[in-house]
Amino acid sequence: MMLPFEMQFRAGIPVHQQVVYAVKKAIVSRQIQPGDSFPSVRQLSQELKINPNTAHKIVGTLINEGLLEVRPGIGTIVGKAPAATRIQRSMLLKQEAEHLVVEARNLALELEDVLDAIRKHWNHLGG
Amino acid sequence: MSADQDRIHSIETEGLTRSFGRTEAVIDLTLAVPRGSIFAFLGPNGAGKTTTIKMLMNILRPSAGKATVFGVDSSRLGPEEFRQIGYVSENQDTIDWMTVEQLIAYCKPMYPTWDDALCGSLLRQFDLPPDQKIKNLSRGMRMKAMLLSSLAYRPRLLVLDEPFTGLDALVRDELVRGILELTQQEQWTVFISSHDVDELEGLADWIAVVNKGRLQLSESLASLQSRFRSVQVVVEGDEGLPPARPAEWMLPEKAGHTLRFVHSRYREGSEDQIRAMVPQSGRITAHPMSLRSIFVALARTYRISE
Repeated sequence: MMLPFEMQFRAGIPVHQQVVYAVKKAIVSRQIQPGDSFPSVRQLSQELKINPNTAHKIVGTLINEGLLEVRPGIGTIVGKAPAATRIQRSMLLKQEAEHLVVEARNLALELEDVLDAIRKHWNHLGG
Repeated sequence: MSADQDRIHSIETEGLTRSFGRTEAVIDLTLAVPRGSIFAFLGPNGAGKTTTIKMLMNILRPSAGKATVFGVDSSRLGPEEFRQIGYVSENQDTIDWMTVEQLIAYCKPMYPTWDDALCGSLLRQFDLPPDQKIKNLSRGMRMKAMLLSSLAYRPRLLVLDEPFTGLDALVRDELVRGILELTQQEQWTVFISSHDVDELEGLADWIAVVNKGRLQLSESLASLQSRFRSVQVVVEGDEGLPPARPAEWMLPEKAGHTLRFVHSRYREGSEDQIRAMVPQSGRITAHPMSLRSIFVALARTYRISE
């Protein structure tokens, strides 16, 4: 079974964090959509060749953040991004935005350059 | 079955020691391997990993201390326990002249829990040629054949001594998939030794590090990853490293206006600690670390402090 999101591990970053990020990216880019079934812990573990306890933790994190929902008898599905996660999302955005601004200013980029780059990625992901 | 089904640890050692003449290969080793974990037993070649495993598997007697497997003293492990243990080692005697098919036929009657369906699916998954003699197989194929004959009876404990050494990434992935099959059943524990942490990234969730026969560390990956952070501090002004630093700041270095170190006890309030130590701190970032980067930091610290 193929996973519905792309995963290429990078050195230096915890596996748990990388997979959670990859799933978020796939949701944002609508590679996986609300209502889609999400791989089981077993499938995640087998396909990514990761520890089943780590796979379990990843699914737990995604459920806690409201990105996945458990449907008894069906399994785990991609959630509808409920309002409750808006706060979390804006928090995430704040952090990421700060990071981006800092990086950009370090490189002496103009605000326009940054906005251009953001726009490009925005369109690329199909938002 | 017996009460050992409820045991928290599949393996426990206490003061385990083994000497060969005057050489101490394993010294006062005390560790516990939690059931349901993939336990990485890491250390450089010659650190005492294989000697430890041989004591666990009742191949060598300890000079002092003891080990238990499923609560049974390792020196008393017999057929009943070994029916529930899968053990794969490079320097194991294999029956070289057998074909893969013959090996399977030979192993099957020894294990009441032998699972033909799993055996068949592993045979396909591993792409093993049934009619080839073991001695004519490549190193990777040979390892796959040995792992198959240890997985097919669904052991409750799998002990692998350097299973990935000298194998390419593709074979490693196949072996990992095979190992992960085991984690689908109710009772399982995997104990893997390796000299190369990269082989176990993502796979291990418990880490023990052994060096020169002594245990340096034994901890869950979750615990390690919650306390280790790669920290960068932007420092205004030209001060060097703060002269008195907490021991938990590992490998501190300063280049330009950046102070960089690995914090081995990061927690809430650590930023305040840093600002107190380095009054001119500007932006502080603390990133979680992969198993590999934690291992490298530990290895470098041990070497420096030796």
